[in-house]
Amino acid sequence: MERITHNVSRRSALKFLGAAGGGLALASWAQGGRALAEAPDGGKPLESFTGPGANPHWNSVGPYVMEPQKTPLILLTDRPVQVETPRHYFRTVFTPNEAFYVRWHLGEIPNSVDLAKWKLRVEGNVNKRVAFSLSDVMQKFKPVSVAAVNQCSGNSRSRLQPRVPGGQWGNGAMGNAMWTGVRLRELLDAAGVKSGSAQVQFEGLDAGAGPKGMGSNRFLKSLDLTNASLDDMIVAYLMNGEPLPVLNGFPVRLVVPGYFATYWTKSLSWIRVLETPDDNFWTKTAYRIPDTSRGTTTPEDVKAGKVKTIPIGRMPVRSFLISPDGSSKIPAGLGVTLRGIAFSGYGKVVKVEVSDDGNSWKAAELGEDHGAYSFLGWQAAWTPKTPGRYSIAVRATDEKGNVQPDEPVWNPGGYLWNKIEKQELVAGRAN
Amino acid sequence: MKKRWKTALAPVGVAIALAGGLVFAQMRSGSYGSTNATSIEQAAAPRFAPDAKYDAGPYPSFTRELAEGDGRQEVESFCAICHSTRYITMQPPLPGATWEAEVSKMVKSYGAPIPEATAKKITSYLEGHYAPENRKE
Repeated sequence: MERITHNVSRRSALKFLGAAGGGLALASWAQGGRALAEAPDGGKPLESFTGPGANPHWNSVGPYVMEPQKTPLILLTDRPVQVETPRHYFRTVFTPNEAFYVRWHLGEIPNSVDLAKWKLRVEGNVNKRVAFSLSDVMQKFKPVSVAAVNQCSGNSRSRLQPRVPGGQWGNGAMGNAMWTGVRLRELLDAAGVKSGSAQVQFEGLDAGAGPKGMGSNRFLKSLDLTNASLDDMIVAYLMNGEPLPVLNGFPVRLVVPGYFATYWTKSLSWIRVLETPDDNFWTKTAYRIPDTSRGTTTPEDVKAGKVKTIPIGRMPVRSFLISPDGSSKIPAGLGVTLRGIAFSGYGKVVKVEVSDDGNSWKAAELGEDHGAYSFLGWQAAWTPKTPGRYSIAVRATDEKGNVQPDEPVWNPGGYLWNKIEKQELVAGRAN
Repeated sequence: MKKRWKTALAPVGVAIALAGGLVFAQMRSGSYGSTNATSIEQAAAPRFAPDAKYDAGPYPSFTRELAEGDGRQEVESFCAICHSTRYITMQPPLPGATWEAEVSKMVKSYGAPIPEATAKKITSYLEGHYAPENRKE
């Protein structure tokens, strides 16, 4: 066996120590006298809650947790499950199923589904009640696909000032997927909607421990039969070409392109045609927004009972810078690529602009078009010319001419946030 | 002669030492934390039978300890009928009036079977530990 010995003379050892000593001295000089072992702030865990000020972080502040069929996601609540998608998963315009956010309302959410027994029923005010197995749904109807953003009504709720109770989402209660399934219209036609019907109600496999007849017992959402978006709605059995994770609504979920996710009933099992408008809690009382411009109001007006409300509907235009995310310092003079996503529930995003001074806006290059309801990728070249702190702002404009504003939104539900997003990026000296 | 060589070499030695110092200063390396950081265990791949059952298994619990105080037990027994107490710790610090409205919403809008005196106790517990002026964690 070969033995390697280090024959170090006392003299060369001293020389080495001298060099190391010089190195230590120089290193501490380079750091402006800070202790060598001090870690940058980036290594510290986040605070466990934010407020009463706005949450300053892109995502919510909960810990990463593992849920079934999921990659580590950010915890809001464990029963019922609410987990948020971390920012970096939005580097692609299609959000991976295993990273797709989850939001359930009631505690008794399905753990398993037996497809030998499960049926999708169309009932209520119809000519003929029908019940389809998943096999029927897959084979009896023509499959159609749509790329569509699913965003929680309360996405970014933790930005509101004053803060409002509810799920304290950062920006990650959203995702985009290619949904494949059958048209809702075809399922309704198979049963035959009787004339004079008012609404169609959707119910999934979830239930709650609350008393019968209350919102804590069943989650029900209804839409008017005159709503034109019924033509766009599908009952999806595929999400990005895979079965839906149970937490995202296996075996089928409703897809309502352009609308907030409250209408996208998960594990959809009952489609009920109603003769009269739905008066259950989730349709009539919950998920309402002020009938004002941008759905914004004030705590004072709410208190004074001045606010007329309407059901939440389409998603206002939004855009996000995904990378760089501020986790790295950029050497001044280095040209980097700003990348992100944009979407609007009112139609195609036609323009995305970025600014590093809040005044001058530069058009970003738009990515591949996956349809009006999808995330649209964008990118822009950016070079921080001198060292310093930059605030990168991004704003989108949709085909209806809606432009993201720089003003906040406030309403008691914490809905509709779409203020221009800003990210601080630090450029350091390059020499 | 020998002494002269030594004198001539001395600045070279200093120069080498300084050069070594400069090389060392352009980076810092080998620094690791002295305590263990938190981690998440990976999940093993599930084993499925080719039948009609599609099972995701149980959902894990991640409940944070609530603040110590009078009323905590009532919160843990009544609020947790429908949802875990993460619903409380997830909130930002909220003013007393907002907590009062929340408890009232749970009883009136959601039908939570909480006796009036208990609801009052729950409200004062939340006001006393989860408001801007007193929330600790």
